[in-house]
Amino acid sequence: MNRRELLQCAAILVSGVSVSRLGFSLSDEQWTYLANAPDYIARTPAYLSPSQREIIAVIADIIIPETDTPGAIAAGVPRYIELMAADWLNDQERGIFDAGVAYMETAIPEEYGLPFVQLNPPQQLQILEAMEAQASDSSWYELGNVQRDFVSDAPFICQMKELTIWGFFTSEVGVTQVLQYDPMPMHFDGDTPLGPDDSSSPEFLI
Amino acid sequence: MIAAQHIDFDAIVIGSGITGGWAAKELTEKGLRVLVLDRGKNIRHGTDYLGEHAPDWKAPFQDKPDRELFAREYPLQSKNYAFSEFNRQFWNNDRDNPYISNPEKPFEWFRADAVGGRSLLWGRQSYRWSEQDFKSNSDDGNGIPWPIGYTDLAPWYSHVEKFAGISGQAEGWPELPDSEFLPPMNSFALERTIKQRLAKKAPDLRMTIGRSAVLTRDHNGRSACHYCGPCHRGCSTGSYFSSQSATLPAARATGNLTLKSDAVVERLIYDEQSGKITAVQVIDANSGERHSYSARLFFLCASTVATTQLLLNSGSDKFPNGLANHSGALGQHLMDHLESTPVVGIFLDDMDRYYFGNRPNGSYIPRFRNLPGQDADSEFLRGYGFQANVLRANWKMAYNQKGFGADLKDALRKPGFWIWALTGFGECLPRPSNRIALDHSKLDRFGIPQVSIEFDWSDNEQAMWKDMNQQSARIMKAAGAVFYQGMGDTNTAIGGGAIHEMGTARMGNDPAQSVLNAHNQAHDVANLFVTDGSCMTSSSCVNPSLTYMALTARACDYASKQLAAGAI
Repeated sequence: MNRRELLQCAAILVSGVSVSRLGFSLSDEQWTYLANAPDYIARTPAYLSPSQREIIAVIADIIIPETDTPGAIAAGVPRYIELMAADWLNDQERGIFDAGVAYMETAIPEEYGLPFVQLNPPQQLQILEAMEAQASDSSWYELGNVQRDFVSDAPFICQMKELTIWGFFTSEVGVTQVLQYDPMPMHFDGDTPLGPDDSSSPEFLI
Repeated sequence: MIAAQHIDFDAIVIGSGITGGWAAKELTEKGLRVLVLDRGKNIRHGTDYLGEHAPDWKAPFQDKPDRELFAREYPLQSKNYAFSEFNRQFWNNDRDNPYISNPEKPFEWFRADAVGGRSLLWGRQSYRWSEQDFKSNSDDGNGIPWPIGYTDLAPWYSHVEKFAGISGQAEGWPELPDSEFLPPMNSFALERTIKQRLAKKAPDLRMTIGRSAVLTRDHNGRSACHYCGPCHRGCSTGSYFSSQSATLPAARATGNLTLKSDAVVERLIYDEQSGKITAVQVIDANSGERHSYSARLFFLCASTVATTQLLLNSGSDKFPNGLANHSGALGQHLMDHLESTPVVGIFLDDMDRYYFGNRPNGSYIPRFRNLPGQDADSEFLRGYGFQANVLRANWKMAYNQKGFGADLKDALRKPGFWIWALTGFGECLPRPSNRIALDHSKLDRFGIPQVSIEFDWSDNEQAMWKDMNQQSARIMKAAGAVFYQGMGDTNTAIGGGAIHEMGTARMGNDPAQSVLNAHNQAHDVANLFVTDGSCMTSSSCVNPSLTYMALTARACDYASKQLAAGAI
C-alpha cells in the first residue's frame, strides 16, 4: 500500500467512524479491496509505440488541458486511452483507432512538414477542429448518446474525446481535484447555494 | 443415490430474499427451528460488499461496462440500471442459469444469485396497498376476488414497517395509506418549486417524497443513511432494509436459524398418506451432491418465477400438473407492472441551487386516474402512479459536445440544467395466457427442467400506456419543464422489466380457481405456504415488496399457531 492509498483509506475510515455512532467501519475484505486493488491505469500499457504515445498525450492535453486545476496528463488519461484501446475497444472500434493514430503519425507530417507533436499549439488545435468538423455527422454527437453505449462507428476524434473526458472525470485526479467529491456526505440537503464557478459532484445512480 | 441427512427442522424456508428473510425472522422468533435455503452464493453482510464506496478509478475500465464479459455471461442482467462491476457478484449469471423466453411474448427475469437475494438490489420504494386495490378484481371482474382486504393486512403492514424502517411523509390520502414512518428525506429545491406549480395548475395531482426503506435516523441497531449514493452495491451500515442487514441477523440472534447457501432446491417431497410435504430435495450448487432435509412446515419464498418452477417440478401421482395445483392456476396469471420509459423534463428553475449528498430516493405521484367516483369515461381499468426523480446534468450527460480545451473542460466540470424524470408504473391485469411452464426438453446444469415464460400486455395496458403518455405530458407542462422528451404513444415495455413479477400461485377463497387460501396456505397441502410475489391475486400499481413482507409476517403468525394447535 503506498502513501496515497493509505491516505485514501484513512479518509474514508475517519469520515465514517467519526460520524456514525453505530460503528461504521470497513471490513478487512473491503479494506483490502480498496487499498490493494490497483487503479485501472496502474497497469503498464504496451499497445502504442513511443511516438504514437506522444501523439495521444498531446491530443488528450488539448481536449482537457491543465488550467487552474490539473488536466488530462496529470490524471493519467493517455495511459487510460492506450489501455482501453488495447483491452476494451472491439475490432471495429480498434480499427478506427489504429487508422486514426496512423493518420496522425504519417499523413499530418506529410501535409505540415513536421510531426504532429512538433507543430505549434494553434496548428494542433486547428487540425483537431478540422477533424471534428469532418466528423460532425456522426451519431456520437446526438443528444441521446450518453452513458452506456459506445458508438462503434464513431470517428477517431470522437473516440479520443470520449476516452479523454471519461478517463479524466472518473480518474482520482479528476474526481477529487476538479469535481466536488465527498465519499461520505452523512446528510442530504437539496437546497444548497451554487456559485457561478462551482463544479458539479460525480453522479450516482439511485 | 440420495445421501439423506436426517436433520429435522420445524420449518424450512426456501429463499432468503425479502420474504424468505421475513419468514426466517418471524418463525425463529416464535421458537421454531428454521432452515433457510438459498441457491445463491454466501454473501456476508458488510464484509462482502466489495464494491461499496469503491471509487470509479479502481474499477475495470474506470467503470465503462465490460462489454465482452457482460454480453457473454450477463446479457440480460447487465441491462438493469443497478448492474455494474461494483455488484456483479450479487447477480445471476445468465449463461449458467438460463431460462426460455418466447421471442413473440418475451419476459425478462432479473434475478439475484446471493444470500439476501434481490433484497440486496431492490429499489427500496415501499407503499401500502389501498382498500380499493384489494377490491379491484371483484369490482371489475378481472381475475378472482382477493380473499383478504386492507383491514386484514393493515396491522401486519405496521408490524413490518416498525422493524424495517420506512422513511416518508404521512399524508392521509385514502389511495395511498400512510405507513409507520421514520422522518421523510429532505427535498430538492426544484421539487418544492414543481410541487407549488402542480398545486396551482394540476390540483387533481398529489406529490409526496418517496417512501423508502432507507433509514433517516438510527433504527433497531442500524445506522441512518450516510447518503453515499449507490445502495445496490450493498450497505455495511445496514441503512437500507435487506434480509442481510435486518431480518437474517434477527433470525440468527434467536439461535434457531440454520442457513445454507449454494443450496438448489430441486423438489418438494409430498407424502400421499399424510397429505403433507415431508422434505425438500436439495442439490449442492458446487459439488452437485444431493441431500434431503425434513421438516413440519415449508415456506416458499424463492421469488415468483423460481417458486413456480419448484412447484411445477414437484409433481406426483396425486398432483400430475404440479404440487398443490388441483386448481390448474399454478403458473398462470403472471403479472408485472407496466413501467413506462422515463419522461425526461428539463428545468431552468433554481439554477443557483445545488445539493449535498446523494439521496437514494425520489418522489411519488400516487394513482390519480379511475379513483372511486371519477373518470367514468376513461378507456382503461385501474390506474398507475409516477415515480419522479431529480438529476442535475453533469459531464456524463454532455461529453459528446463539440470543442476543445479550457472552455470544454469548464463546461464539463460545471452542472448543467435540472432534470425531472417521470416513470409510470401501471397495474397489470391477471390473465391466464401470461404463464410460466416447464420445458422438459431443456434441462439446466442441475438437471432441472428450465422454465419457459410467455408474457404480453393486454389491451387494457396498451390503453393505459397511451393515457400515461398524455398525462405525463400534462404534468410536465404544469410542472414548468422548458422541454420534455415524452414516452411516446406506443408501449415499448417488456414484461419483467419492472422486476415486479407476481401472480402465478394466487390466493383466493375458491380452491378450484386459486392455489393459496387467505393465509397463503396451499389449499391442497396444509403445511405448504407461499408468500413471495407468486401469491398475488392482482397487482395494484404500487411497488409490491412491502406487501410481500406484510403477507409473509401474517402467514408466519397463522402457520405457527396452526402448528402449535396440531392442525398442520
